[in-house]
Amino acid sequence: MRKPLSIGPLVLTAPATVGLLLFFVAPLVAFGVYSFLTGTLYDVASPLTLDNYKDVVETDVNRRLARNSLVVGGLAAFFSVLIALPMAYWLRYSAGRWRGIVLFLIVASFLASYLVRIFAWRSMLGRNGAINRGLEGIGVIDEPLDFLLYNRFAVTVALVHIFLPYVVLVLYAGLAPLQPSYLETAQDLGAGRLQRWRRVVLPLVAAPAVSAFLFVFVLSAADYVTPQLLGGTSGIMLGVQVQVAFIGTGDFAYGAAMAFAMLAGFLVLYALLALALRLTRLDRVRFAA
Amino acid sequence: MGYDDWVRRETSRRRFLRRAGVVTLTVGAGPTLLAACGDDDDDGGGGGGSTTAEGPAQAPEATGRVDFLSWEGYDIPDALKGWRGETGVTVKSTYIGNHDEIQTKLKAGGAGAGYDIITYYQGYKPLYQELEILEPLDEQKMPNLKNLFPYFAGDEGNFWLDEDGTRTGVPWTWGSIGITIDTRRVKSMPTSWFDLLEPEFKGKVAIPDDPTGAWALAAHVLEFDPAATTTEDGEKVFDLLSQVAAQSTGISPSFGDATTKMTAGDADVCWQGWAAMNQFAADAGVDSFETEVPKEGSFSFCDAYALPAGSDNADAALAMMNEALDPKVNAEAAVFLVGGVTVADAVPELPKDIAGLYAYEDIDALLERSPFYNNPPVESDEFVTFQEVQRRWQEIKAEADA
Repeated sequence: MRKPLSIGPLVLTAPATVGLLLFFVAPLVAFGVYSFLTGTLYDVASPLTLDNYKDVVETDVNRRLARNSLVVGGLAAFFSVLIALPMAYWLRYSAGRWRGIVLFLIVASFLASYLVRIFAWRSMLGRNGAINRGLEGIGVIDEPLDFLLYNRFAVTVALVHIFLPYVVLVLYAGLAPLQPSYLETAQDLGAGRLQRWRRVVLPLVAAPAVSAFLFVFVLSAADYVTPQLLGGTSGIMLGVQVQVAFIGTGDFAYGAAMAFAMLAGFLVLYALLALALRLTRLDRVRFAA
Repeated sequence: MGYDDWVRRETSRRRFLRRAGVVTLTVGAGPTLLAACGDDDDDGGGGGGSTTAEGPAQAPEATGRVDFLSWEGYDIPDALKGWRGETGVTVKSTYIGNHDEIQTKLKAGGAGAGYDIITYYQGYKPLYQELEILEPLDEQKMPNLKNLFPYFAGDEGNFWLDEDGTRTGVPWTWGSIGITIDTRRVKSMPTSWFDLLEPEFKGKVAIPDDPTGAWALAAHVLEFDPAATTTEDGEKVFDLLSQVAAQSTGISPSFGDATTKMTAGDADVCWQGWAAMNQFAADAGVDSFETEVPKEGSFSFCDAYALPAGSDNADAALAMMNEALDPKVNAEAAVFLVGGVTVADAVPELPKDIAGLYAYEDIDALLERSPFYNNPPVESDEFVTFQEVQRRWQEIKAEADA
């Protein structure tokens, strides 16, 4: 006998579905169409063309900024996961009574505005910032270090700081089903500390770690505020070009093509990481019920 | 008519007006002609009429809500508090972070419909007319236009008045660009814009992210008209901008950010500085900023209120614009924004430091040295265009890493 269709899930997901269709899918489709139209001043018109994509790819400055996006996004994502993973592990298995306090502090860090955090880094890394003053104070340097601010390094540091709490929470949630008994069993079977990490913990958190990596990479590589405030002339990224196309030059078609080119890049990265997980069979690793 | 034709015609018209002025003074017929000019002004076409053939101008009855789209502070909240209280008008403000957001919001998918007041920097007038953003303003409903300084009432550049006398904007605040220094680290004021290219300023120059402003300044310094720079001369302007950018550690997203950079010691001098930065710094506890216009002069900017297409409360908008030309309100706005006044009777109302920002006793001379310019044209085969400036500026910003 066929199972009767339950409308419960449909009703429960309807608001989110409608919201996504209206405020995400519809604008996305509209901009997808824009990207193939001809840009006029703050408007688009027929005929259909591929010139926008051609211009995006062939413009030298775009290639340079895409490289910046790739480097900064990749570094920010890598270091976020690298720092967050041991933190999440410690929180899950060793934090004890500190767990609640540290989790609260991580969540509380979201209360600090994005811009405040960027400016905090500026006051830390600047010529008269805390780091330079501190190093001068203890006699390590005579002149302020200029390479700390207004470059890719400063952007990467700020982005890692901004996204680290999210990644810790994602990985902590990823580790939650991994009972301490798994590790005890591995230990009983003769696995050392490193081997337990490599053969038990890492395979189980690989998928959440890849998700966290992608999350940070996409948001970092497309960011256009942090690069403008901390990046100087060497830290500007591709997101700034999208902003300029829509607001500065009023070429919506070119801006849409650039946004879709970036989206295509992100999808390629997603596909590559998914393929890597599949080839290593890490996508099949599941916690036991 | 193409833009190139417009520039040629406009240049001829300006030459004619200058010659006409010389003739007036030479033949000694000044009083008669000036009186006649005054009458013309009173007809409204010259922008300042309080009495016209249709009777005395009168501010309309203002009610309801004014939807405002411009920079934070341009709704002059404190100075207009009394007017809002008297009329019951409420002002709902949407603030921008970049001038280009105005046309983007107004043009992108009709999202801008319903705004009652915008502002525009004088150079944007041709673009805004091209985009059909500006509605004609009824001068009969703005009696305070008579308060404008003659320079702003006359409007030789057609920034606020079309050639046929149609008003599109109400100039109410202005200023001039200069070199801003922090005297804690720069002991003597540079006398030329080119001084900023010296090795001593390597990595010490702050630059606000204002493509058309940077372009106007560099073109002016090289003695080109920013609105009519040939593509060949344009390369010289872009080259100068590249050299200036190479002296900086990065482009600041705003004047406020450029100020912060300087107060923090990460920059010592500002290309495209502004007297208001002295005050921004003082507000942050640093009173060592100074701003001066170097020997080559610079450019000036004037912001005007305008009525965008799609407004549904034009009367209240016009009444608010009219109120901004009240001497006390205009002066309070200048103090709040650390800017210039466009109303002659506002000058005595200014505190000494704000009044001293600009030489009101000879505005014509000041603006001769630091003129108001139009932005580059939207379309042209001969001259560097608005889009080209925007595009090349992005390249220049990222160039230091090339």
